[in-house]
Amino acid sequence: MTERVLDIDDLHVRFRTADGVVNAVNGVSLGVDAGEVLGVVGESGSGKSQLWLAVMGLLARNGSAGGSVKLRGEEILGLPNSKLNRLRGARMGMIFQDPMTALNPYLTVGRQMTEVLTWHRRMKRRDAVRRSVEALEAVHITAAESRLGMYPHEFSGGMRQRVMIAMALLGDPEVLIADEPTTALDVTVQAQILALLNELRERFGTAVVLVTHDLGVIAQVADRVAVLYGGRLMEQAESGELFRHYRHPYTEGLLHSVPRLDEERTARLATIPGNPPDLAHLPTGCPFAARCAYVHDACRRAMPPLETVRGDHVRACYHTGPLGRREQVA
Amino acid sequence: MADGAVLRVSGLRVHFPVASKRLFGEKRWLKAVDGVSFEVGAHETLGIVGESGCGKSTLARALVRLVPLAGGAIEFGGRDLAPLSDKAMRAVRRDVQMIFQDPLASLDPRMTVGNIIDEPLKTLFPDMPKGERAKRVRATMQRVGLLPNQINRYAHEFSGGQAQRIGIARALVVEPKLVVCDEPVSALDVSIKSQVINLLQNLQEELGLSLIFIAHDLGSVRHISDRIVVLYLGRVMEIADRDAIYERARHPYTQMLIAAVPIPDPEIARRRRLEVVRGELPSPLDPPSGCPFRTRCAYAVERCAREQPALRRVGASLVACHRADDPEVARAAQTNEDRE
Repeated sequence: MTERVLDIDDLHVRFRTADGVVNAVNGVSLGVDAGEVLGVVGESGSGKSQLWLAVMGLLARNGSAGGSVKLRGEEILGLPNSKLNRLRGARMGMIFQDPMTALNPYLTVGRQMTEVLTWHRRMKRRDAVRRSVEALEAVHITAAESRLGMYPHEFSGGMRQRVMIAMALLGDPEVLIADEPTTALDVTVQAQILALLNELRERFGTAVVLVTHDLGVIAQVADRVAVLYGGRLMEQAESGELFRHYRHPYTEGLLHSVPRLDEERTARLATIPGNPPDLAHLPTGCPFAARCAYVHDACRRAMPPLETVRGDHVRACYHTGPLGRREQVA
Repeated sequence: MADGAVLRVSGLRVHFPVASKRLFGEKRWLKAVDGVSFEVGAHETLGIVGESGCGKSTLARALVRLVPLAGGAIEFGGRDLAPLSDKAMRAVRRDVQMIFQDPLASLDPRMTVGNIIDEPLKTLFPDMPKGERAKRVRATMQRVGLLPNQINRYAHEFSGGQAQRIGIARALVVEPKLVVCDEPVSALDVSIKSQVINLLQNLQEELGLSLIFIAHDLGSVRHISDRIVVLYLGRVMEIADRDAIYERARHPYTQMLIAAVPIPDPEIARRRRLEVVRGELPSPLDPPSGCPFRTRCAYAVERCAREQPALRRVGASLVACHRADDPEVARAAQTNEDRE
């Protein structure tokens, strides 16, 4: 029996800007279960980052969120910062693409780690140091004790991301949200960080939300996959099901436009024509309609509702016919 | 290939001075490119791969003489570019152009698209009549998929993919023979990346260009390249035809790079052994003795620390590894081939 840790229902995120209202997330419902890795795929303008910043209560000042986010059944959307701070330090953690933006360059890693514990957890300094060393060891940083005295810039990119993960783990979070954690890293370092995320999930049972544009990364670690476009959920399924039996034209387009090392090289790559959506000027109806090879009149009139394909595989699309097979598309 | 080469690079070195740790201490050098040799054939696309810090971007800049060289030769069009003055290089830039990674950062925000694309014509062909230039700008815009009515818009009004089309038009408008593309698709979205890769392929075929395509994404490099150079800490590890590299990588570093690329198929992805990927790039300021890769290599022996391996032919590859023909290393290449 799986436990739902995080329940997101009909989430909306809007930003007031000089160019008008930007609708970054437009009614997304998602759940995260204990111990699972949920992969969230999308390109720029999909709303994939803002969705999770809203969940964490970290939206920029001109942003506002509506809908509902429940952590183990308890509503957390719109909680005051004082309460959110307690959740963020302990029950939910988030790591970002560029660890340097989240780490303070003027403070040693040890100071930044122990502060979390002495401040939030009222831990004694000696215990906080011990706990920090354990956290660094959990992410396979060697000579952890001596590393506590180092500054963020003294670490390599991959090591910094490990430090970020260790910091997020200090409070034993129930959910770890990783927003493009490997995008800035080399493939060899990426492989190591992905292996680490997998290991942490198995060891500590932490639910992981992995936000990325890279379907290869998703395939490597995600149990379930949610595909976002224009601030909406387009398709969601268990990972094997999504990659083999996708039922949304956008998912198909994404999968086929990536050159794969394990397949015969094609003369030309399959592409999705056009450009990513402008969230300040979203069309009525399906945001993908303008780029979709299977577009119907109905798609431009109203957003298709989420429908069940089978089991927990859902999609939002009016097209009922078959999708092109890979070899035909390429 | 030897006689048909458009570009022949030999023993190229780029060394940057680094502040010494102590006052009056010995001057230290970062050897970003350290003795790199390769050729690019006519109408050929040569891919250059490697992780950050391997020197691939410095190499790109060195080829068009945007950074000072410490040594080596760059033969192009029958002469060596290395000793040329900036003024003499100007004439060469009609034939050798460059496309950069970040399209928006490399385009002047105060110039219109038309002016951006016209700029190289104006500076490199000062005698060309204005009408002729305007004609060329329009034709080039059309070629890269920009609309004529976009000519007076500013670069910041364009999305990343469109901006990269402007960058490509700016490089192609002078009708170069060789275009050096430094991570041209790395900053683009998945769906846009494939559009730009296809565009580069089409242009290469239509215009008979030679391309140098630099990237860290092995999937794109394999798709677009005829031959591939693998760099590590400023040195060439392996050079081979596209298919040879991916089917039977001879260098343990190439094998590791390929093993690290995630495959977008959960069934395959989960069967793969990620533990072959180990360690991190050592500091280029203090590279290991002998073979630079030995500190991460599963097959390193004592000789690798002592003696820097020279490029030599093993199978279909040129490879810099003492053990490349050892059955143990060759077996690892085999598993790449069998991976299904």
